[in-house]
Amino acid sequence: MVWLNPAVLFLLATAAAPILIHLLVQRRAEPFAFPTLRFLRPTRLAAMRRRVLDDLPLLFVRCAILAAAAAALAGPLIVTSGRRAAWNRRVVRAVVADAEGGAARGLAAGVFRAQEFSGPSLRDGVRRAIAWLEKAPPGRRELVVVSRFPVGALAAVDLAAVPRDVAIRLERNGTLPLSRSVPFGRVVSSTGTIDRGLTLDGASTIVREHAGEPSSDVWPVEVVAASDAKTIVDAAIDAVRAGRVWAASPDRRARLIVLDGAAVGVPADATPVSVPWMADAIARIAGDADVQMAARRVVKSQTEREPAGGRLPSGPWLPVARASDGTPIVAAAASAGRLAVVTSVPASKVAMPILLRAVVNALADVPDLQHAEVAAIPDADLRAWSRPAVSPPATPLRNVDADDRRWLWGASLLLLALEAWMRRAKRRGASLEGGEVQHVA
Amino acid sequence: MTPPLPPDVLARIADLELVARIVVDGLVSGLHRSPFHGYSAEFSQYRHYLPGDDLKYVDWKLVARTDRVYTKQFRETTNMSAAIVLDASASMAFPAAVPKLRYGVIVAAALAHLIVGQGDSVGFSGGPSFIPHRAGRAHLRRVLSALSALESGGTWNGAASVRRAADRLSRRGLLIVISDFYDDEEGMLGELRRAARTGHEIVLFQILSRDELELPYQHDLEFTDLETGARLAMNAGAARRGYKEAVAAFLEGMRGRSLAEGFQYSLVLTDTPPDRALRQFLLARRR
Repeated sequence: MVWLNPAVLFLLATAAAPILIHLLVQRRAEPFAFPTLRFLRPTRLAAMRRRVLDDLPLLFVRCAILAAAAAALAGPLIVTSGRRAAWNRRVVRAVVADAEGGAARGLAAGVFRAQEFSGPSLRDGVRRAIAWLEKAPPGRRELVVVSRFPVGALAAVDLAAVPRDVAIRLERNGTLPLSRSVPFGRVVSSTGTIDRGLTLDGASTIVREHAGEPSSDVWPVEVVAASDAKTIVDAAIDAVRAGRVWAASPDRRARLIVLDGAAVGVPADATPVSVPWMADAIARIAGDADVQMAARRVVKSQTEREPAGGRLPSGPWLPVARASDGTPIVAAAASAGRLAVVTSVPASKVAMPILLRAVVNALADVPDLQHAEVAAIPDADLRAWSRPAVSPPATPLRNVDADDRRWLWGASLLLLALEAWMRRAKRRGASLEGGEVQHVA
Repeated sequence: MTPPLPPDVLARIADLELVARIVVDGLVSGLHRSPFHGYSAEFSQYRHYLPGDDLKYVDWKLVARTDRVYTKQFRETTNMSAAIVLDASASMAFPAAVPKLRYGVIVAAALAHLIVGQGDSVGFSGGPSFIPHRAGRAHLRRVLSALSALESGGTWNGAASVRRAADRLSRRGLLIVISDFYDDEEGMLGELRRAARTGHEIVLFQILSRDELELPYQHDLEFTDLETGARLAMNAGAARRGYKEAVAAFLEGMRGRSLAEGFQYSLVLTDTPPDRALRQFLLARRR
């Protein structure tokens, strides 16, 4: 027998409660007026009986009620050969299809449970399918992935998370085009904006560039610094533009504030970040390896001196980069619909253009070329990743749709009825006997 | 003959004279001869013979003359005095359904009714009341009134009650004692013995409830003595055997000593209809 919720078995200890209550509660003898005590011989029996379990049948029934209820809560499951055979006969199938793979119709028919997970990413679909299979009742579990399987859509590591007893079927439902041309975003350079396109043709990749439409609003970051640092800041912006950065959409703008004592302060209207694109941007800045490395170098070069801008503020400001001693030197928040990034690093340091580039790139949407892929995962890889279904394991048997707790609940109810009947019978007997007690006492 | 009224019904009737009449009416039907001796009677009238009538009162001469059977009726004249002594101690308040005191009051009222009805005189002693023996209906009502007002409480000095009642009986009379005899039975028996030696006839009614005989309880109970207030906690079921043996020995002792002294002894249980109990007593008395 298997317990589906074995942690609940500790409640079996409550079965001893009636015995403990029986032993601990001091029963007081009922007062009873009687004509004379001359014929009553004093005995120690009355005192002794209080410590002895009496009314054993009723006590046993009460303990059994609690034990049966606790056992029912623990979810007993008797795994018989018939039950296991029934589980083996049914199939629980999760079907994952990507946006281009089309609906995997027909795969969900004729099985015990089936669920389709479709979306732009096979990886994400596989993750959701694994989670669903983990909650599915016992049966032969299958993960079916239907796609044209472009390279990068799925990897062995994605399928490594699939439980070992789950079968994996990878079904290719079409072929990829031989070549494909897709837009590849816009970049900002010293000369202006450049629109880029990409042509994937077999194993070769061709990038095409042409000048974008001129616009005065293409630079997304306003740098706020002390007036004596203006030259340095302009040089940093020129350096970043010369190295090309991704262009951001017009609604995503940022302000980089270089703190400098009383000259440049923290914006008073800063609020915690709640807009998704700002949160993504902060994550990208924090994940920029160049920014992190530059931050550490700045502190080293300053040899434990206080940063020029002083300590960074707390409150809504989220630390983005820290010095080697743990002191935040870059923080971000929202301010007037823009992303505000403050830094205590002096504008003259080399970290300045690195931080500026990271902020600009963080605002842009880097194009995802996965959907443009024309090379497919080889059939040999798909075969290697596939595996057949196996019988449901003995353990764990989670999410059993029909366990044996109903029998214990039934037993509990029957015992309850028996207990009520015994109690009534006892009370009736006591009232017949104690009628005189009540009137006289 | 109508069945006797159960004691709990009789106990609820407030009019004690009515209760006494009910009991005596049930008692004397078929019991034509006076149960009490020591009286003389003068002829009163004839009446038709009824089955059960004593044949010695049939007027045979009249049968010969008229071919009809008549029996002679006599107007009884008294020469017997009786005293009823009733225990009204706290122990007589048990059990609640039909207390022994109420049962004893009914028995005493019926006996008083019976005695006065045949023309004898009766006195009463119980609780704070003491009424010297007299005859007549007015006196009977006084006795019944005293019985009605009787309430249980305290202990009972049986010896003093018996001595006073016996001393007030002017000549050889009938002394009826109704009690559970839990209080100082030795002293009281001594006084009864003394009364018997002076020529009084002694009749004892020991009234008990069935629960006192059998102790039919199971659980732990804290028994409280109704008279002394003493307490004793024990399991009634476990104590039953010893209790019943002790009670049986006590009752056997009472009965044996009463018979040895020449007393008429009756053990009456409160679940017995009073007229049936009295009838058995009177029939035994005729023998």
